[in-house]
Amino acid sequence: MDHKPEPEAVPSLLQLISSNQVAGFDNIPVENKFPGPINVCQATGGHERAVSVSISMPSSPTAAGGRGEAKVFEIGVPDSCKASESIGEYKEAKTVKFLSQPMPKGSILGEAATIKDTNQHPSNKKLKDKRYDSFKTWSGRLERQLSNLRGRPCEIESEDDSSPNFGNTEPLPLPLPVDRYFDALEGPELESLKASEEIVLPHDKTWPFLLRYPISSFGICLGVSSQAIMWKTLAIASSTKFLHINLAINLVLWCISVALVAIVASIYLLKVIIYFEAVRREYFHPIRVNFFFAPWIALLFLALGVPPSVTSKLPAALWYILMTPIFCLELKIYGQWMSGGQRRLSKVANPSNHLSIVGNFVGALLGASMGLKEGPIFFFAVGLAHYTVLFVTLYQRLPTNETLPKELHPVFFLFVAAPSVASMAWASIQGSFDYGSRIAYFIALFLYFSLAVRVNFFRGFKFSLSWWAYTFPMTGAAIATIRYSSAVTNIVTQTLSVMLSIAATLTVTALLVTTILHAFVLRDLFPNDIAIAISDRKPKPIKKWFNRRHGSLDNNKDIETFLKFVSVDSKDIEAALKVPTAEATSE
Amino acid sequence: MALTIISMASLRSETQIVPVNSPQASSFTTTVQSSLSAVFPSRIKHSLSSILTKFHAGYFRISLSLGGQALLWKTLIGPTHDKSTLRHVVHMFHPTAFLLLWCFALFILSLLSLLYILRCFFYFKMVKAEFLHHVGVNYLFAPWISWLLLLQSAPFVAPKTTSYLVLWWFFAVPVVALDVKIYGHWFTKGKKFLSTVANPTSQISVIGNLVGAQAAASMGWKECAVCLFSLGMVHYLVLLVTLYQRFSGSDRLPAMLRPVFFLFFAAPSVASLAWESITGAFDTASKMLFFLSLFLFTSLVFRPALFKRSMRRFNVAWWAYSFPLTILALASTEYAEEVKGSIAHILMFLLLSLSVLVSLGLTIFTLLNTRMLLPDNDPISGLYHLPIVSP
Repeated sequence: MDHKPEPEAVPSLLQLISSNQVAGFDNIPVENKFPGPINVCQATGGHERAVSVSISMPSSPTAAGGRGEAKVFEIGVPDSCKASESIGEYKEAKTVKFLSQPMPKGSILGEAATIKDTNQHPSNKKLKDKRYDSFKTWSGRLERQLSNLRGRPCEIESEDDSSPNFGNTEPLPLPLPVDRYFDALEGPELESLKASEEIVLPHDKTWPFLLRYPISSFGICLGVSSQAIMWKTLAIASSTKFLHINLAINLVLWCISVALVAIVASIYLLKVIIYFEAVRREYFHPIRVNFFFAPWIALLFLALGVPPSVTSKLPAALWYILMTPIFCLELKIYGQWMSGGQRRLSKVANPSNHLSIVGNFVGALLGASMGLKEGPIFFFAVGLAHYTVLFVTLYQRLPTNETLPKELHPVFFLFVAAPSVASMAWASIQGSFDYGSRIAYFIALFLYFSLAVRVNFFRGFKFSLSWWAYTFPMTGAAIATIRYSSAVTNIVTQTLSVMLSIAATLTVTALLVTTILHAFVLRDLFPNDIAIAISDRKPKPIKKWFNRRHGSLDNNKDIETFLKFVSVDSKDIEAALKVPTAEATSE
Repeated sequence: MALTIISMASLRSETQIVPVNSPQASSFTTTVQSSLSAVFPSRIKHSLSSILTKFHAGYFRISLSLGGQALLWKTLIGPTHDKSTLRHVVHMFHPTAFLLLWCFALFILSLLSLLYILRCFFYFKMVKAEFLHHVGVNYLFAPWISWLLLLQSAPFVAPKTTSYLVLWWFFAVPVVALDVKIYGHWFTKGKKFLSTVANPTSQISVIGNLVGAQAAASMGWKECAVCLFSLGMVHYLVLLVTLYQRFSGSDRLPAMLRPVFFLFFAAPSVASLAWESITGAFDTASKMLFFLSLFLFTSLVFRPALFKRSMRRFNVAWWAYSFPLTILALASTEYAEEVKGSIAHILMFLLLSLSVLVSLGLTIFTLLNTRMLLPDNDPISGLYHLPIVSP
């Protein structure tokens, strides 16, 4: 069959039809995202809102893996383009009837889209880039600016069509409601996609590194810097002097932590600059939002663990600078809890919320050790009040709460973090390890042991980088024990402090080995970050489509109407109607 | 027995209430009408009845605010260890001006109390409906709190005199009685579990206990004070957790009542002041409560969208802004006196000016818009006029 004349003819015809049919076409795919034989694209989804989420072909995990490139539409592509691209998809998917034969994907798209250049290779590459454009800052405009500056004319030319449509007043996409995250994801860290859900980025390709880099990577900084503090305390504390720990260990670990914080922070900063949308989506994720405290807590840990050889007195202004982002963040987060909207506590409470509380206590500890008086008490009070609320909520395991994992998961170790750090903070504020500190310490110890004896239940989870964040509670408990043993020195407390320190060190070492293993041997340290790529629509009639092999009639009606017109071989209506069945049965 | 709402259709043309007329209601109506006509001439009777039906305990917010202001100014012009210039300036507030303020507060409170007593006599069923409503019941504490505040700020009643003691008992006993009833409901009564009825106004009961504790401590009755304080704090803890969880979302409270969110930071402030009265000094616990209150205040101030809907039309709920601000200013005064730093005094100045501005503004606004104070279709008083089936 001749490809040549048809591709030229088709686009104009299709464009004409599509612009007429746009209203009708709109109705089909918005609800119909399914990995069926007919790939209905949600171009119109993007059409009705000025949102930068681009739609891909349904590429849910259940779809056949090697199924074609994801064709993604961006905003600003003219409607006709969109529609014709979708038609391109139809053609490709169907391989039947109305358009003659399977055409090379590149050429279809090159022609169906009215983008000027018909060069296949750049278009393929650009398409690949475009898939991630929705996640780029200002939908890729920044990147184009940068590449313009670097003088890459071919990019400019191809984007000419899109640029007039990228209005300067393009609004930021609406934040995903928290319900979408709960509906689409599952697992103790809300990381895995539910089977019925789809993601807006290609499922089968490895995404750009920055898109795969989650905020929970800051957990490594937390884990290592808390180790630095522990070794410093072991070397300095009176009750562990018998171990003769060298302060050099603290120095080495501290320097490693500084390097780690710098590296992780700069990579994440790059992600903020280039893929701001991805960062936003992480912020709206009910579990990841707590990790936004992690960088600042890591900096606080660095200040706490600073070796005496580096500096002995930190300036007070530093404390204020470090606490300001924590203060602003917690104003936002606790306010969300209180105002009773969609992110109220009874709905989103999960053990990771401890990260938002611990920052208060760590700040109080640092401030008190620096000699400040009022500021530490302020943060201690705020942290204590909200910790009480969170603690009760988590213990209650409210039925409205969806994110608590039913089985134990390392995230539960975060329960130990707050009381242990609070006990140390109170001891610093009061000047001695008094009853208040001891009460908090014993609570921490109890929680630690009740989790440690259940260590068998921690098996069987997929390793993720956020596990590093769960090691710092163990280290924190060890440090609190050392402080306690300095106040109450006897053989029991000293043994306990040594044991807990060894446990913490072993855990960190094991985690380090696992991380290296995953990074270099298995090479899956940074898997595709599914959690940020969920679509903002529920894919509704998936099941219907699968069950009935026809799709629901009302949904299909428009498809079939459309197909009728599309059929340039002037097949009759019956043939057009038979299409889905044939296609479905042929799958 | 279905609680019928008396529709005074003969007296008012609008029908905001759900009329469930039964023979006993109409006979009650005639009784009321006859009793009223026996007492007042007809025109006054009409206006009085309309006022009494629209009046509800929420109006005591006004007296709460005024009482709070009186207490604030009494503390400010009283003897102090604070040597700062700000305190010095404030000290120049003339005692006569304070006396005027206190008398004005007393007058308003007496007026409101009288109206409410009349309402109890003539429209007891409405009062009962208020009592059974999850928001209205908390405002039944408001009159007693206002009286306690006025007692504490009274210029001529010294704390250790017998009259003070007698008055304290007179005002504190109803608070405790209400406590027993309401807190008992929370964990025993079927339909009124805390998880279903909790709303920000529930903190008024806590405030009642704490104000009583403060008044008792200033009398020297430490044990009573500690008892009331612990009662208040325990229930505050429970309430804090429940309210933060927002189990049932924000739909338990109508949008017009959003100003009561300010009560979130009123309770810790009053607790801080009460603890200071008990221990004698603004120690760490008081500081922590004050800081918590400050944090909650900041967090609410940064959420103006929460209050937008309620600010569309003036209604008495706007007075809910004033008392918490006043108490926070008072706590910051005590804090500044204790800490003596410049930041503390700046904070005190800011909060003080804010509370004075808000109270003054509200007073002027109310005086200018007296008609809007008792609106015909007040959405809040409409809340209480729900037919309730008692079990």
